[in-house]
Amino acid sequence: MGLEMFFTSTGLVVKGVLLLLIMFSVVSWAIIMFKFFQIQKAFSESGRFMDFFWKTKRFDSIASQVDRFASSPLTALFNEGYSELKQLMEAEGAKPDHGGLSTDLGGVANVTRALRRATNLEVNRLEKYTTFLATTGSTSPFIGLFGTVWGIMVAFEGIGKTGSASLAVVAPGIAEALIATAVGLVAAIPAVMAYNHFQHKIRVLVKEMDSFSTEFLNIVQRNIAGK
Amino acid sequence: MYQLVARKDTGLGVATALSVTFHVAAFAFLVWWQQLMPNLGPVQTTYYVDVVNLPVANPRAGSPTDTGNEAKPAPPAPAPQAMTTPAVPSKTAPGKKAVTGSTTESTAFQERMAKLEGKVDAQRQSAAFEELRKRVAARGKVGMPKGGGTESGSDYTAYLHSRLKDSFKETISYQTKAPFVMVRITIDGDGRIIRTRIEKSTGDKAFELSVVRAITLAEQSIVPPPSRTVYEGAFVFKPQGVTQR
Repeated sequence: MGLEMFFTSTGLVVKGVLLLLIMFSVVSWAIIMFKFFQIQKAFSESGRFMDFFWKTKRFDSIASQVDRFASSPLTALFNEGYSELKQLMEAEGAKPDHGGLSTDLGGVANVTRALRRATNLEVNRLEKYTTFLATTGSTSPFIGLFGTVWGIMVAFEGIGKTGSASLAVVAPGIAEALIATAVGLVAAIPAVMAYNHFQHKIRVLVKEMDSFSTEFLNIVQRNIAGK
Repeated sequence: MYQLVARKDTGLGVATALSVTFHVAAFAFLVWWQQLMPNLGPVQTTYYVDVVNLPVANPRAGSPTDTGNEAKPAPPAPAPQAMTTPAVPSKTAPGKKAVTGSTTESTAFQERMAKLEGKVDAQRQSAAFEELRKRVAARGKVGMPKGGGTESGSDYTAYLHSRLKDSFKETISYQTKAPFVMVRITIDGDGRIIRTRIEKSTGDKAFELSVVRAITLAEQSIVPPPSRTVYEGAFVFKPQGVTQR
């Protein structure tokens, strides 16, 4: 049976299940592609930003160039930490240049909190939409299975009406019904694989952000101690 | 007041468009693949042997209405076996030598016996063949009832029915409860279907299409009718199978 014949001959419930699964597949593939490029870009720009960060001695110089690495989550952390630092210094009436980081330990705690908030926001941004992949991976096979069970029920009902149980009569109905499970698996397998892959990559990025926060605070504290 | 906000990501719309394109392309590829290669599995020709109408030497053999029902003459008796006397054991060589001599004689005896049996079997076979030849020569042409004695076996309608039945199993599809289609098929002397006419139908388009596809599929494997004459026959297609009209 051709695909075009298949879509015209199946029942309404199986059609609905197939459409739902196709929609799941379309959306999950869109998320897979979007997340893949987003995370790849975040990795590459984070690497470039860290090189630039260690080569440049002044925070204000880094702040003026940070837009070049907009996709990196580390730039968001830097922006937040630097903004907090500037506000503290303005509150004390000092100028925000390299030599003028005169703040007390309470100010460092403020910067720590700002960095933590920025890390949480970046993790949320990176994890956004991945829950849909998890949902697709866990529910699509069951939705497909439901379509199959329904299709087989209808096929058996048809067999009962025609009164023939030959393979030629039974097989097409069961084949139609099994397609729902196949489509469910086709939607679920890439979603689960991509979800696991992205979770791993996001964990690595979170560790990088933690390391960067620690380095940033170390620099701030060294400057305070040097005062 | 400074407010911390999450950054906006762009590109999800492009990714969705790409995903839709990818799915449409995958669907189109599947449709194209099915049309290009409808039968991916190896097609094995099924051979039917009609054991009732096989071209035998005497088709009426065993029928009480015809002669030739006489009991088969008994096969010629086997030639009497030549008696051999057992070898006398030698007096002078007891032990190993004596045993070897006895074994050699026994082997020679078995060889002679095997030769004699082979000769008897060959005589019996040649006698049976000779008898068959005589019967064939006496009765002239033999074979299936309407045949000329040269056909290789079964009735052409039965053969065509079996081909249609097989191909119909591959294509059967219907939408109504009990569809029915009667088709008249005309086959020319070269085994090509020159006309297919649906004479009766319940109107199930999917079923009619599956019948037409079954006939097209069967055409690929059918042989020409006997004596290369034009054949015409009607067949009834139902979900339960194909029947001759």
